[in-house]
Amino acid sequence: MHFLYFDPGLGAMIAQAIVAAVAGVVLFSKGLMFKIKSFLGLVKNDDDLFDDIDVKESDIENKNTGDK
Amino acid sequence: MINNQRHPSSFRDPSGYVINDQGIFKRVINPIYFKQYSSLKDSGFFDKLFNNNLLIPHSEELSTESKIIIIPEQIPFITYPYEWCFLQYKEAALLTLKIQKYALDHNYSLKDASAFNVTFHNGQAVFIDTLSFDFYRENEPWRAYKQFIAHFLGPLLLAYYHGAQSLKLLSNFIDGIPIKQLASMLPYKTKLNPFLYSNVHLLAKFEDKHNDDYEGKSKKTTLSKKAQLNIITTLYDYIKKMSLKEHSEWGDYYTKMNYSDEAFKLKSKIINTWANTIKPKTVIDVGGNDGTFLRLLNQDIEQALVCDVDNNAVDFNYKKVKTNKETYMLPFVLDVLNPSPSLGFNNKERTSFIERIKVYEPQLTLALAVIHHITLTGNVTFNMSAEFFAKFSKYLIIEFPKPGDSWVERLLNTKGEFKDHFNFYNVKNFESAFLQNFDLVEKTEITNTKRVMYFLKRK
Repeated sequence: MHFLYFDPGLGAMIAQAIVAAVAGVVLFSKGLMFKIKSFLGLVKNDDDLFDDIDVKESDIENKNTGDK
Repeated sequence: MINNQRHPSSFRDPSGYVINDQGIFKRVINPIYFKQYSSLKDSGFFDKLFNNNLLIPHSEELSTESKIIIIPEQIPFITYPYEWCFLQYKEAALLTLKIQKYALDHNYSLKDASAFNVTFHNGQAVFIDTLSFDFYRENEPWRAYKQFIAHFLGPLLLAYYHGAQSLKLLSNFIDGIPIKQLASMLPYKTKLNPFLYSNVHLLAKFEDKHNDDYEGKSKKTTLSKKAQLNIITTLYDYIKKMSLKEHSEWGDYYTKMNYSDEAFKLKSKIINTWANTIKPKTVIDVGGNDGTFLRLLNQDIEQALVCDVDNNAVDFNYKKVKTNKETYMLPFVLDVLNPSPSLGFNNKERTSFIERIKVYEPQLTLALAVIHHITLTGNVTFNMSAEFFAKFSKYLIIEFPKPGDSWVERLLNTKGEFKDHFNFYNVKNFESAFLQNFDLVEKTEITNTKRVMYFLKRK
């Protein structure tokens, strides 16, 4: 059974089809740009605080070992 | 039947609720959610989330036919979205998307995307609503999509276009910024950006159009998983690239301050000597800027809360926390002149800052170079601020900049013709007010400055 305790918004549910289409185009063109840039050797590795969306699978304990 | 208090914020989701069992927070799961829970548990999905520090770990305490009780790792001090700096807000948004992506890869989906599902613990954002996961249904759009925009993308965009103060809006809109209002607050040029147009303006239009559909027969809409992943990935990429314009204007605060190197070292030495007599495990630094003085505290601190009114300072502090991988430091944004109130239904869903700090009761409070701002900017009397600080902890180290200090003079000059009304701002009045609530342990002047340090113990 599916229970819903807040309104997801019908409009928002329908809009996602278009949002996704736009997202597809954005991702495609980004991918293309990336290919062109790396071909021209323009890709720079940005040292960002945050990594990318994919979780690096690790089944070993990955606890914080920061200093106190 | 366990005799305990259901947490007043835990009523929205029928899957279960949080209880406070003699000071320990536990989560009761209702039979309606058993299927999901056992699947998440047996498939190893929970464990994977724990191992990757994405979800707060829990252990199972009880499992019967009518309920399951889990005990999550306890979080000593909860911060709310309206107390996060831009960087923290961004991390919380990215965490939510990351979890949704991971969930989709394993055939689950987040059924809500509230910013209140996240808090900061051990130096990073962590998801705390264990019951937010549901099975992914083939070709179903993301039910929490609108909520994500209202809770995360919206506030971040407003912060980007109108300044970090906008992040505080969530204290009024605890269900997220209404999409239509969000769309109206963004500059026109955002309509020309396909990503922003579709995720905000178009969404607002669709929501508006289908607003009157009161029949409640939600029409079936479909969206492939690939398409949903595209939405989530573009949201992630966009948010990851966001940064505040104001950052570039922020120099190093401590070079602007009127402290010589020597005085700076002396001040830190005084704090260390005093702190060493009580060896605190928990500390709060009120107006602690980017945490500089706390980092100079060579005590074995378990947790240090550092709050400041300035989002940039908190951002800087949090950036240090991330780069140095510090787990004990918890920075957040707080305006001493208007601390976070109690919010939500019955005013009990989100507790006020004062209530939280009273329960937390840090062993030591630092209030360095902050009393002149409270007194001269906020016009708060010494009696009122003494009462305020007495609520925090047993010990207080407070710095008093005397009249003649350049900052004090600057603040006094802004008072113009009323400057004389602030003649009460002096050591004598400060001491007589604070010594009503505190006993003086020690006091010392910082040589070559107009500043006095006090070590006080609550009466």
